[in-house]
Amino acid sequence: MTLEPLTLNSPGTAAPQVDRFRYDNAIVRNFAIASVAWGLAGMLVGLIAALEMVMPSLFLWDGIPFLSFGRIRPLHTNAVIFAFVGNGIFMGVYYSLQRLVKAPMYSKALSNIHFWGWQLIILSALITLPLGITTSKEYAELEWPIDLAIAVVWVVFGLNMILTIMNRRERHLYVAIWFYIATWVTVAVLHIVNSMALPAGLFKSYSVFAGVQDALVQWWYGHNAVAFFLTTPYLGLMYYFMPKAANRPVFSYRLSIIHFWALIFIYIWAGPHHLLYSALPDWAQSLGTVFSVMLIAPSWGGMLNGLLTLRGAWDKVQSDHVLKFMVVAVTAYGMATFEGPMLSIKSFNAITHFTDWTIAHVHVGALGWNGFLTFGILYWLVPRMWRTEIFSAKLANVHFWLGTLGIIFYALPMYWAGWTQAAMWNEFGEDGRLVYGNFLDTVTQLIPMYWTRALGGTLYLAGVFVMVYNLVKTAYAGKFQAYEEAEAPALAKEEPAHNANGRREYWHRWIERRPLQMLFWSLILILIGGIVEMVPTFMVQSNIPTIASVKPYTPLELQGRDIYTREGCYTCHSQMVRPFRSETERYGEYSKAGEFVYDHPFQWGSKRTGPDLHRLGGKYPDSWHYNHMRDPRSMFEQSLMPSYPWLLKDKLDISTTPAKIRTMQALGVPYPAGYDELANEDLQKQAEKIAAGLRETGVENAVADREIIALIAYLQRLGTDIKAEPTK
Amino acid sequence: MEVKTIPLPVQAPAATCYHCGNSCEQEPILLADKPFCCEGCKTVYQILHEHDLCTYYDLSAHPGITLRARKDDSAFAYLDNPEIAAQLISFQDETLTRVTFFLPAMHCASCIWLLENLYRLHPAVTQSRVDFLKKEISLTFRHQALSLRGLVNLLATLGYEPEIHLRDLHHAAGKRQDRSFYYKLGVAGFCFGNIMLLSFPEYLGLEKGSEGGFQQFFGYLNILLALPVFLYSASEFFRSAWSGLTHRMLNIDVPISLGILVLFGRSTWEILAGTGPGFMDSLAALVFFLLAGRWFQHKTFDSLSFDRDYTAYFPIAATLIQDSEEKSVPVTSLQAGDTIRIRHQELIPADGILLSGQAAIDYSFVTGEAVPVAKFSGDLLYAGGRQTGASIEMTLTREVSQSYLTQLWNHDAFQKDHRQHWIELTDRLSQRFTVVILGVALVSGLYWLMQGSVSLAAHVSTSVLIVACPCALALIVPITLGSILRHLGHHRLFLKNTGVIEQLAEITHIVFDKTGTLTYKDSSQEVIMVGQPTEDARRLGASLARQSSHPVSRAVASRLGWAGPAAVIEHFEEVAGQGVRAWADGHEISLGRADFAGASLMQEEGPGRGYTWLVIEGETVAGFALPARYRPGLRGLLARLQTAFSLSLLSGDHDRERAALEAFFPADTPMLFNQQPDDKLAYIASLQASGARVLMVGDGLNDAGALRAAQVGVAVSEQVDTFSPACDAILDASQLPRLDQLIRLAQQGMWLVRGGLLISLSYNLVGLSFAVRGLLSPVIAAILMPLSSATVLIWGLAGTWIAARYLRQETPESSL
Amino acid sequence: MSAIFVLIIISLIVAAGFLTAFFWAVGNGQYEDDYSPAVRMLWESAPAAPRQTPEAPRPADTDVSK
Repeated sequence: MTLEPLTLNSPGTAAPQVDRFRYDNAIVRNFAIASVAWGLAGMLVGLIAALEMVMPSLFLWDGIPFLSFGRIRPLHTNAVIFAFVGNGIFMGVYYSLQRLVKAPMYSKALSNIHFWGWQLIILSALITLPLGITTSKEYAELEWPIDLAIAVVWVVFGLNMILTIMNRRERHLYVAIWFYIATWVTVAVLHIVNSMALPAGLFKSYSVFAGVQDALVQWWYGHNAVAFFLTTPYLGLMYYFMPKAANRPVFSYRLSIIHFWALIFIYIWAGPHHLLYSALPDWAQSLGTVFSVMLIAPSWGGMLNGLLTLRGAWDKVQSDHVLKFMVVAVTAYGMATFEGPMLSIKSFNAITHFTDWTIAHVHVGALGWNGFLTFGILYWLVPRMWRTEIFSAKLANVHFWLGTLGIIFYALPMYWAGWTQAAMWNEFGEDGRLVYGNFLDTVTQLIPMYWTRALGGTLYLAGVFVMVYNLVKTAYAGKFQAYEEAEAPALAKEEPAHNANGRREYWHRWIERRPLQMLFWSLILILIGGIVEMVPTFMVQSNIPTIASVKPYTPLELQGRDIYTREGCYTCHSQMVRPFRSETERYGEYSKAGEFVYDHPFQWGSKRTGPDLHRLGGKYPDSWHYNHMRDPRSMFEQSLMPSYPWLLKDKLDISTTPAKIRTMQALGVPYPAGYDELANEDLQKQAEKIAAGLRETGVENAVADREIIALIAYLQRLGTDIKAEPTK
Repeated sequence: MEVKTIPLPVQAPAATCYHCGNSCEQEPILLADKPFCCEGCKTVYQILHEHDLCTYYDLSAHPGITLRARKDDSAFAYLDNPEIAAQLISFQDETLTRVTFFLPAMHCASCIWLLENLYRLHPAVTQSRVDFLKKEISLTFRHQALSLRGLVNLLATLGYEPEIHLRDLHHAAGKRQDRSFYYKLGVAGFCFGNIMLLSFPEYLGLEKGSEGGFQQFFGYLNILLALPVFLYSASEFFRSAWSGLTHRMLNIDVPISLGILVLFGRSTWEILAGTGPGFMDSLAALVFFLLAGRWFQHKTFDSLSFDRDYTAYFPIAATLIQDSEEKSVPVTSLQAGDTIRIRHQELIPADGILLSGQAAIDYSFVTGEAVPVAKFSGDLLYAGGRQTGASIEMTLTREVSQSYLTQLWNHDAFQKDHRQHWIELTDRLSQRFTVVILGVALVSGLYWLMQGSVSLAAHVSTSVLIVACPCALALIVPITLGSILRHLGHHRLFLKNTGVIEQLAEITHIVFDKTGTLTYKDSSQEVIMVGQPTEDARRLGASLARQSSHPVSRAVASRLGWAGPAAVIEHFEEVAGQGVRAWADGHEISLGRADFAGASLMQEEGPGRGYTWLVIEGETVAGFALPARYRPGLRGLLARLQTAFSLSLLSGDHDRERAALEAFFPADTPMLFNQQPDDKLAYIASLQASGARVLMVGDGLNDAGALRAAQVGVAVSEQVDTFSPACDAILDASQLPRLDQLIRLAQQGMWLVRGGLLISLSYNLVGLSFAVRGLLSPVIAAILMPLSSATVLIWGLAGTWIAARYLRQETPESSL
Repeated sequence: MSAIFVLIIISLIVAAGFLTAFFWAVGNGQYEDDYSPAVRMLWESAPAAPRQTPEAPRPADTDVSK
């Protein structure tokens, strides 16, 4: 047999025609460090928040504005979602993408802009949120200047990613890349739509949507943020790092493709289920439910695909800490994605909504799915990038068990708490009246569970510290390799698809594809045209009050409302009385869509650590509020509510009033023309009146120009309009 | 052919080859203490090792392909012929060439890895890309640095010899399948989902006008979304309906198209006029389900191609000898009178006369008779024979297209495919169905006209056409038969299309081929040996046999099983297709065909053909033959079959096995031997003439004619994915004993279809009852349509699943 | 409920965008072979061990089998 090819190319005679390039590991390392560092911070804040709920009066935080629960809870969520998970995503994407497309990132500069930009955004969040600078839209609390920054950085990221993909040397886009792209596109859209707001100053803006609509947009965002920031990118990571770690191909690649497209086409519609029994139209709610339930299929498709990848390798799982983490993560994903649709079923939702159940649900996702997958990736990545072995597999296992126990100690008591809470809220006695008429009774019941939760959080956090130690030691043991040499043949320029036959066919395909493309581009154009036409009309139309008696807020109430949002009251108090006997009995008339038309933004909230406030107006005298704000425990000795002494000290800044009024007018709130200039007069009058009233009722040191006055004005206004005259 | 590829006895004590995993000969070739079964394997290992590509061996164990069967380099000489090369190349510019090859040997992750790292092995290869499912590699290389032939050589050296056949030239263009169907399905699915979404308020009885005119808005969006479905996705049906009409035939697509048209027209009207929400959801659902159904039906087994003819097996080129110059030319350009050279293992492309060389022609391709036939100069050689041994020269008497085999292939049976005229079951039904529906629509319309309400008349008759739209009807056949197809595929019976199932369900007569169908060459056991050679004879025989690389010699060597010291061999001589002879320890000894070895037949053995003889000093010591064994479970199968079908047996072989066969078949089974392919054709035809519906079970190649002529032709094959002849179905040999069950499954499939038809019709009746009274609301339509489809779907899938269940528990025979 | 209009339209556009992406993928033959990508991603594209100084193929090489 003849073997010319050998004589032709015995080693050393000729170099293969191949591109050589270097993967950028430095950027991956940076994101990894950022993810871990911010993760620690975020979880620490979370722990503090948890402790505040069981030791509200502890000197460490009680009465300190920037540590009060209402301000640090947004900090916790933002830090964990956008700092910990966000950087985790970028870490994974920057590592896997380069290798999947066999090309380095398109631009080192863009990579770095992305990295530092993102960290700056987080830093600004770290500063603004404790200062009470917030839009009060959950998971989108950051104010408009930061929102803009986010948009810019996100575009940079997208640019870098897309251009890298275009430079690829691998024709096929591995399924993970699809997940990344989907993430980028959708998050961009969500962020822009949900952040549509009119500024009323550098650090203040009002959502362009009001009340029900704002709620709808917010939860369309809220849901899809979970879907496309916490789920799809991590699924992408799962599809890359799990096979890598197990060194075996994914169970079914076909399934992964179906999984992706199904998920994409269903997820986007599932938003409304967050608003069941709210003032949202019935059909929209049911729609959300239907799609949410449909979601089980693709979600579990993904989970099974992940788990089955390890079939026949379970012995490996027992020994390999990386796989351990990943397995738990995927399992948690399965649980969360099963529970989600369940929660979206009306009857179940009726029970669990506003309770701690939700907290348990999201933390199974966050701690289990996102947390553990990130840890697994880190344990796999760090030794690789530092060219060494893990410092101590034993410690990694310690972390694993601490983390797992942490999740259990966190989730179980919270589920239990949620159930207890719901049961107590809805329990009627023979006399047909609520057994626990006093909301506080339903709270004090939960203290033990809150303690256990705090314990769980501590365990989990401890685990993370162990990991940090382990990884740092690993890094020191090894030598970091900022650039990794790689080679791959260049992708042929003219790329006739699969065994093509030269130009002839190429031409065929072009013809064949054209009508289709035209069809869809035209469709999209029409839709865009549609928006451009319709949106303005909607905006106007939407602000016509459906309930005549509902009036805009007075300047003082408006300022009070802004204090309400600033202090993050919505994190513990809802403003949405649902049409259940138990709730109407407890709070009063259920909430109507028409009542919220001037609420920019809406304050429905999503959790009732404290009672609902929508019908608070007129329930208690001003002096009650005054003292309650100063020190809740002076009235209810077991209250969990933080005290707000600074409201009594700080002067209300009324210089902002005109701008705020103008913005509201721009949003269609019917203040008379030129009212912005008169507003402060009315404001002061109303303030004086309230202050006077307070002094009469024994609050000697009540002063009109303090923030507390504005807040009381707002609280007393809440839900009162409708009482003025029966609804139409 | 079989003789050549006889695998070595597994129980041989030898180590397994590090490269290909085959068990090595007595003494494996060692390199870096790794055992190799042959030089070829060793060489490949060396190459990979030198280029540090040994990851190849880490990805999976023994990934290599044995190179024993490797053709020598000159086999690819024809690739230097520019006109041939040009037809194979898919793209070429000044520096680069891209070409795609079919590599049957590709089988594991290692293969993908190595083939895509070719550039490391040869600098001229700029890119190589594997399509694993198609077993194809697409290569880009710099043709200045490496010729096409060199490239093929490189692949062959590694064990991935491309399969290049005559048909690759013709079919070069036709490889890409058309994807527009998937687009249509996708568009329909997408719009369906979104229209459903937008119609949701309607289902929930969202009160008109409230909530800021949703209905209007959603209505418009629905039209927008329905347009692509109507114009693009549905075009399938319009087209086929139209062609049906032009052929004066009411196929199923006629009523469907009618329904779609009405649906769209009326819905658009209602929405624009603001009189109602329209039926866009039903429209989208309908189109989507129907397309989905078709997809189910069209689903075929990618790895198998059924439409092969002789060009799939014939070489692309032959070596032409002109004034003692060798040059390779396309076989198509061969003329009568040309002189060509045929090398070892090459196929004779056209009839001719042997000029020189020792011809041992293996005609198994034509006759199924395995043992090569010796030919001498002046003898006539038929196209399709395969030369074994040294190369020969022959003068052609006919062109390729005129030759015996090609003539055979051009027989009527291949020309007109009688299934063309066979109309699908559903179409037969829709003939009547359509008429009835139109009638109902007309009558009810007229009735309401009499009542004096024009609008209601229009409303009713359109409603009739809408609900009557035979969605479920059109689904049941593709769904049921489609999943039957899948279940059969599961049990390794691969059908060409769902039409075959209906054919299969109706057969009355089964014709079996013998060689390669009922029998197979049993590799698990050694060659048969007659006679008891003495210790000494075994030593001499083994020593001689080991001298030859011919598989038979190898087999004989191992059969004689002599481990001790070998005899001294002198004057070794090998005559291709005849045998070997030499002096062993001074004894004259020969091993080969009776006439060659000069063997005197021994009384123990039966008919003398096919035996290899060992003769020492003129004394016949032993005879060897490859055992032909009947497939396990055959008896049981035939016993079960004869209850339901009449059987017969055809064999290209002579009748030495008659006795054995009679034991298997029922007494009166007609058995015909020495059947030439066209005899088989004739026999099938005669059966059909007498009204029988024939199932021919044969081993693809030499039965090709018969397979095509029969109502259903099932080719029994050892490895289904690499080899697929012209037939309706391919059955994995191991599954032959379950043939009866598979037929039964097909019959049950047809029953399920009939049941499903009833269901769908009843649904239509329900719908009609609403429609004629003018009570059809979108919601009812929107419920009825998917509901009927869903029921039919479940009926079809669940039914077949249950029907196929008993197939899952292995039958005793097949596990034998 | 005007927000719903906006959201639906936006969602539709996003969805349509993904749909086009889907068609690109199918048309580009991305899903032709759904086996090899899964294994291919497991392989590092680390360069082969350093060779001696690369040189152009020797003239002898240029015609392999003429």
